[in-house]
Amino acid sequence: MSLESAVERAFPARAPKSAPLSPARVDEQVLSITETRPPLSWYAAFAVAGSVMTMGFAMIGYTVYRGIGVWGNNVPVGWAFDITNFVFWVGIGADAHFGDIFLPAALAQRHRPLRGGHDAIRRHVRRHLPLIHTGRPWLAAFWLFPIPTSAAWGQFLLALFGTCSPFRLLHGVGAFLVRGAVARLASLRDRARAARAVIFSILSLGWTGSARHWVHYEKAYMILAGLATPLVLSVHSVVSFDFATSVLPGWHSTIFPPYFVVGAIFSGFAMVVTVLVIVRWAMKLDNLITMNHLDVMNKVILTTGLIVGLAYFTEFFIGWYSQALYEQEMFRLRMFGPYGWAFWVMFSCNVLVPQIFWFRAMRRSVPVMFAVAILVNVGMWFERFVIITPTLAQDFLPSSWGMFIPTIFDIGILLGSFGLFFTLILVFARVLPVISTTEVKMDLPGAQPHRTPSHHPPLPPLPRGEGAAAGGGGD
Amino acid sequence: MDDKRRGLQQGDAPIVAPERLWRSLSERAGEDAVREARGHEFVPGAALPMDSAGEGDAVSRRRFMALLSATAAFGAAGCSTPQDRGKMVPYTKQPPEVTPGIANYYASAFQEGTTVYPVLVKAREGRPIHLTGNDAHPHSQGKTTLRAQAEVLSLYDPDRLEDWREGGKPIKKDAAIAKLVAALSDGPARGSRALLMTGAVLSPTRRALIEELKGKAPHLVHVAFEPVADHAARAAASAAFGDGPALAPQLDRARVVLAVEADFMSTLPDSARLIRQFADRRRVRSKEDGMNRLYCIEGRMSLTGSNADHRLQLRPSRAAAFLFALAWELHEKHRLPLPYGVDSSVLSSFKLAAMVESEKLPAPVVEALAADLAGHRGQAVVLAGPVLPAAAHTAAALLNVMLEAEGRTLDACALVPLATPEELRALRADLEQGRYSVAIFWESDPVYALPDGADWKRALVQVPLCVAIGPLATETSQACSMVLAANHWLESWNDFESPGGVLTLQQPLIEPLYPDALMQGEEILLACLKALGAQRPGEYYEYLRERWQREVYPADSPAPFSAFWEAAVHDGFVQRPVAPVVRTFNGAAVAAAARDAGLGDPAHPTSSSSAHSGFELVLHPDARTWDGRYANNGWLQELPEPVSKEAWGNALALAPVDAERLEVADGDLVEISAGEAKLTVPTLVQPGQAPGVLSLALGLGKSLGSIAAGVGVNAFPLVAAESRSPYLRTGVSLTRTGGKKKIIRTQEHWALEGRDADIIGRPQTLVQYAHGDHEPHAHHDHPTLYPEHKPGAEKWGMAIDLSSCVGCSGCMIACQSENNIPTVGPEAVDRSREMHWIRIDRYYSGDPAAPEVVHQPMLCQHCDHAPCENVCPVAATTHSPDGLNQMIYNRCVGTRYCSNNCPYKVRRFNFFDYHLERVREPQEMVYNPEVTVRPRGVMEKCTFCVQRIADARMRAKAEERPVRDGEITPACAAACPAKAIVFGNLLDPESEVSRLSASDRGFKVLDFVGARPAITYLAHLSNPASPEDDHAS
Repeated sequence: MSLESAVERAFPARAPKSAPLSPARVDEQVLSITETRPPLSWYAAFAVAGSVMTMGFAMIGYTVYRGIGVWGNNVPVGWAFDITNFVFWVGIGADAHFGDIFLPAALAQRHRPLRGGHDAIRRHVRRHLPLIHTGRPWLAAFWLFPIPTSAAWGQFLLALFGTCSPFRLLHGVGAFLVRGAVARLASLRDRARAARAVIFSILSLGWTGSARHWVHYEKAYMILAGLATPLVLSVHSVVSFDFATSVLPGWHSTIFPPYFVVGAIFSGFAMVVTVLVIVRWAMKLDNLITMNHLDVMNKVILTTGLIVGLAYFTEFFIGWYSQALYEQEMFRLRMFGPYGWAFWVMFSCNVLVPQIFWFRAMRRSVPVMFAVAILVNVGMWFERFVIITPTLAQDFLPSSWGMFIPTIFDIGILLGSFGLFFTLILVFARVLPVISTTEVKMDLPGAQPHRTPSHHPPLPPLPRGEGAAAGGGGD
Repeated sequence: MDDKRRGLQQGDAPIVAPERLWRSLSERAGEDAVREARGHEFVPGAALPMDSAGEGDAVSRRRFMALLSATAAFGAAGCSTPQDRGKMVPYTKQPPEVTPGIANYYASAFQEGTTVYPVLVKAREGRPIHLTGNDAHPHSQGKTTLRAQAEVLSLYDPDRLEDWREGGKPIKKDAAIAKLVAALSDGPARGSRALLMTGAVLSPTRRALIEELKGKAPHLVHVAFEPVADHAARAAASAAFGDGPALAPQLDRARVVLAVEADFMSTLPDSARLIRQFADRRRVRSKEDGMNRLYCIEGRMSLTGSNADHRLQLRPSRAAAFLFALAWELHEKHRLPLPYGVDSSVLSSFKLAAMVESEKLPAPVVEALAADLAGHRGQAVVLAGPVLPAAAHTAAALLNVMLEAEGRTLDACALVPLATPEELRALRADLEQGRYSVAIFWESDPVYALPDGADWKRALVQVPLCVAIGPLATETSQACSMVLAANHWLESWNDFESPGGVLTLQQPLIEPLYPDALMQGEEILLACLKALGAQRPGEYYEYLRERWQREVYPADSPAPFSAFWEAAVHDGFVQRPVAPVVRTFNGAAVAAAARDAGLGDPAHPTSSSSAHSGFELVLHPDARTWDGRYANNGWLQELPEPVSKEAWGNALALAPVDAERLEVADGDLVEISAGEAKLTVPTLVQPGQAPGVLSLALGLGKSLGSIAAGVGVNAFPLVAAESRSPYLRTGVSLTRTGGKKKIIRTQEHWALEGRDADIIGRPQTLVQYAHGDHEPHAHHDHPTLYPEHKPGAEKWGMAIDLSSCVGCSGCMIACQSENNIPTVGPEAVDRSREMHWIRIDRYYSGDPAAPEVVHQPMLCQHCDHAPCENVCPVAATTHSPDGLNQMIYNRCVGTRYCSNNCPYKVRRFNFFDYHLERVREPQEMVYNPEVTVRPRGVMEKCTFCVQRIADARMRAKAEERPVRDGEITPACAAACPAKAIVFGNLLDPESEVSRLSASDRGFKVLDFVGARPAITYLAHLSNPASPEDDHAS
C-alpha cells in the first residue's frame, strides 16, 4: 500500500499527485537533510534564534543571581509572565499527545512524520519555567525535581505537586528513548561514516532492526502507550487544577480542566502549523507534508477555537449566573478593568481570527494559515496571561489591589523561551530526521508483509497502540 | 575499633592462627617474614616506650605530643577576640541581672520638639532593639508614638558621624575643644557675640549647664529653635494670659472634643498619649457603654478628621471667626458666661448662622456642636492646631475658659522658651553683619528648617567659626567648618520636665557606637566650661547626678540619695509636687483678636473679599519624619502616611473639586507661589480636603543622608518667615508645570466596591447599637472537606476593635522593629513590594468631597482552614497545634502561590536579599535575635509574634502555671495607643479575646470564603449627635 493510496483512502478526492515513494526514497529525502550543509538562511535563522535564546538565558541567570525581584511580580500579582509562559509552553507541548489520540487515524498516520522531536524540545522549554519562577530555584530543584526527598515531603493535596511528580519525569524520558527515535537513529548510523557513525551508534543503543528488536520495540511501545493514555488528558488538566484548587474568583472554577485541555490542543496545533509550514517550505517536504494535512489541522484549529470560545462564554455566563459578587466583579474587571485590553486581544485572536477557516481556500493558503497560527499563539499566550494576572491584581480586598507592570526581564525571558524553542527546532531539523522515517516506511508497500489491507482497516481505530504513546512525555 | 581489638584478644581466638588455616599463599608456603609479622599485634614502633625515639631521628611519641600542644597553645595565644582590643558595646553599668538570651528592659526618655517621650527600651546583650512607651510613666502608660519607636533604628544609622572634623579633616578632641574655647573666650575682646543654637531645652540640667556656660562666657547668646512650633498659640497665650504655663489637653477627662485644625492623632506632639486618652473614652464593651464625641473643623484631611464623629470643612483662615461666633452662640443662646473683661459687643458681630451660611456648613451639626459644648462644661475641650492664626488660638482659649476646661481637661505644663520667627530673622541679620565670632549649632538645622535657609547659609559665611554638634550631618553642618559628632540619645544621660510635675530621666542603653570619637553634646559644653575655669566633672552623668542630689533629691527623704537615684533611673521618672495652674484670662485680648478674625470675614460687617482670592496652604509636620529630624530613618520613610497612604515622599493635597477645576491628577507637578516663595511639588487629590485648601507636609526633601536625600520636597521655604502663624499661607496660587512625578502609595484603591459588609462589617452609630436595631453581621458556617484541627489547650486569636483604631500606624513600626522587617525602598514600594506584616487599610465611602473613612488593621488572619496552607507544594506553611499559621522559612522555595491564594494579601515576599542589599553596618545591630532574618526568595508574614508566645510559655512552664490571659502581647498590640488590638487564647472562655470575639459587633473579614480566620473585628461605632441622644456621655 503506497502512501498515496493510504491518503486516497482517507480523502478520496484530495490525494496529492506526486512521485511514488519507496522506503529508500523516504530515507534519502529525509535523512540526507542531516548530512548536507545547511543553507545560509538556516544560519541566519539560527543566529537570530540563538541570540534571543542566549539573551533569555542571560536574563534567567541574572534572575537566579539577583532574585526574581528583577521581574515585575509583586504581592497581589505573585505570578505573571513566569507562570503564563509555563502554562503556554505546557499547552504547546501537550498537543503532541492530542495529535495522536484525537486526530482521525489516517491523519494520525500521516501526522506521525510530524512528531518526533518537537515534544522533547517543548518539554525542555517548559520544564525550566516552573523552576525559575520560584524564589529559591536551587531549593525548588532539590525538593521538587525529580524526587521529593524525605527531608521535605510535599503537599499531596496540591495538584501542583503532581505536576512535578517523579513518575511523570521518568516516564517522559523512557518514552522518548524508546519511541521511534532509536530506529531512526539507527538508519542514520547506517548511512553515516566516521565520527557521525560513532555518535549515532551510541545513540541508537545497538539497534539492528532485527525482528526480535522490533518485537520488543512494539511491546515497549504498547506498555508506554497504556501508561501515557491517561497523561494525555491529565497533563493540562493537572495544570488547570493548579489554578482551580485556589479560592480566588476567576481561578476557582470547575470548567478549567476541559477548558485548559482544549486550549492546549488549540495552541498546540497552531504552533505545529507555524513550525510545519516553515519546515515544509524550507526542506521541500511538500510530498510528505501535504496540503491535506495542513487543511485538516486547520479544521482542528477552527473546531478547537470554537470550543475555546464556548468555554469563554460559559465562564462568563456562569460568573453572571452565580450571582456571586466577587465572581461577577472578576469577570467584569477581566473585560473592562485595567487589563481589559489583554482580554480583547485574547478574544479577537482566539475566537474571531480562526473563523476565517470556514473557507476552504483560506485553510489551504499557506500565508493565511501562517498568520492565523501566529495570531492564535499570541491569543493563547494572552489567554493564560488574562487568567493569571488580572485575577490576582484585583481580588477580594480592594486595599491590596495592585498592578503588574512587566520589566525588561519579563519580556526578555518570554522572548528567550521562544528563542530556545526555535533554536532547538533548528538544531533538531539539521541533526535528526524531521520526519519519523521508520513510521512512514511502516505504511509503505511491503513494510508490513503480514498485514494485508484486509487486516488493516483503513479508518480508526489503529490496530497498534503506538499512536497513543506518541506524545510520550511527562512535562 | 576498640571493640574489634578486644574481640581479637578475647576468648579462644589465638593470636597465632592454627596451621591449617592460612591467610595468604605466602603464609601457607611458610615464608619467614610473614610468620614473623604475624606475631606482632602492632606496627613496628607502636610498642616502643613513650620517650624512645625509635629508629633514626624519628620524633618520640611524647615529643610529638609536646610539639602538638605547643603549636596549639601558640596558635590560641595568637588569636584575640574583639573584646581584647577594647570596649565593644559593653553594658553601660554592668547590671547583675543580665543573662545572655534574656531581654532586659530599661526606662529612658527622649525629646521631640517640646514633647518628652518616656520610653521603655528592650535590650538584648547590651543592644537596644525595641522601644515601647514606659508603662510605669504616668504620661506614656506603655504607649508611644511611631516616631519614638523608630528611633531605635536611628541609633544604628550608618550615616552617623564617626569622628570630629574640621574643614573635612579629622581633628583631635582636645584641639577642637581648645579652638572652641578660644573662640568663646576671645569674643568679648573683639566685641562680638557667640551663638549657641539648640532645640527646645526641656532638660533642667541642660538648661543649668547652658546658664553656667553663659556665666563664664557672658557674650554667649542661647537660642532655642524648633522648626515646628506653636508660635501662634504662644502669641495668643501671652496676650490672653500674660506669662504663665502652657496647657496640655487631657482627653481622658473630656466627653466632647472640638479639634480645630488640630491633628492630635498624628502630627501634633504627644499623639500616642492623646490617642490613648481619647480611645479610653470611647471603648464600648456593652450596650450601656458611652462614647465621647469628636468634632473636627479643618481644611486639610487629617487623620483626626478621618476619625471624627462630625467633620466640618472650613478654610483655616476662617477658623477664628467661626470660633468667636461659636463663643457668642454659647454665651447668647446657651447662657455661658463670658470671662471678665470680654467686651460682648466685640463678639456679638460674629453670627454663627451667618457663618454657617457663608461657609456652607451643615447647620444641624453646628447647632449640635454648640449644644454639646454647652452641655458639657468641665468635660469639653477645644483644641486649636499650630496652623491657625493667633486670633483663632485666642478664640479657642476663650472657649476653653467659658467651658471651664482649664484644670479639668487641660493641665498645666511648663512653657519652654522658644525663639520667635521675628527673633530668628533678627538673629540672621546679626550673623550677616558679622556680629558673631562663633556659632554653635547643637542638633539644630536652621539652613534646612527655616524658610530663609539659603540666606542663613550665606550668613554663616560671615561667622569665623561655625560648629555643628550632632549625630548626623545636616544642611547646617555642611556650612560649618567644624563638625563634632555627638551621641544619639540612646547613648546619653539627661533629664526632662514633663507636664504635671514629672521629671523624666534619660539613661543610655549602650556605650557610644564609636566610643573613641563620640561624646554627648552636653559633655562638649562641659569640656568648654572646664576649660573656661569652672570646677565641674568631665562626665555629664556626674554633672546630672550632682544637680539631682542638690535640687531634685527631697531634703526630707528617708532614703539615701543613691537609693533615690537608683529608683529614679529604674522607673525613668520622679513625681514632684506641682502647683495648681493659675491663669487669668485677659478679656482685652479678645478685642484685638476679634478684630483680626473679622478681617476678610463675610459674616462680619467689616469683611473684605481679599482673603478669598487664591488658595490657603496648610503646612504641617509630617506624621513620620516630623520636622525632618527623622528623615534618614528608613522605617519611617517607608511607612505610608496614615491618610494619603503615600510612602517615600510628600505631595500637595488638594480637594477633588479643585483638582477637577485645575485639571490636575495625582502626580502632576505644580508650582506653588506663596508670596515670594515658589516650590514645585506633585499633587495628590485628597478626598475630604476642603475646597480652596492645599496642604503639604514639612520635614522631607533633605539633601543629605543615604535614606533621606531626594525623598519628597522641602516645604520649609514656603513657611511665612516673619508671621506669627507661619504655617498658614493665604493667597497661594498654583500653576501646572506639565511634568509628572509618580506618587508612591501602598494602597492605590480605596473604594469598598460594594463589599462593605464582607470587609468592614456593619458600622453603626452608638444609638443604633444601644437600641439593637442593626442588622446582624453575616456569618457563614460553610461545611468543609478539610479535617477539623484537634483542639489543644491553646488557640491564639485576636480581636481588633475598629471603633478604637484610629489608623495611627504605630503598630506597623512596632512590628517592623520586633520582626526584623526590611525596608525595600521607593521603587519597590511603587511595585507593591512593601514588607509590612501589618498594614492599615484605609477605605473611603460616600461622597469624595466629604467621605466617611474607615481604618482597618490588616495582618495574617491565622485561618483555621488557611488557603495558603494547602497550596504550598513543599508544605512550608503549616498549622500549629495552638492555631498559628506558621511559615517555615528554610523549607520555602518561593512559589508565591500562598500569597496568590491569600484572600487578605498579607503575605510578603522577599523579592531580593533586602537584608543584604539595603542594610549597612552597623544597622544589623537592630535585629531582634529572636526572629529569623529572612533571605531572598522566601515568603513571610505575621507570626502573631510567636517568639513572644514561646517566651511567655517558657516562663509559665518554669513557674509551673498556665499562661495567663494578657501575658502575651504581640508587638502591634503592645504599641497600639488605642488598645484596639487584643490578643489571647480563644479556647479560654474567660480571656478578653474570647469575650470580645463573642461580641455582637464581631465579624470576620471575608467570612464567606470559609477560611475561618482567628481574628475577629469589632465593627466600627461612631457617635454622631442625634435628636434622641442625650449628647455625648
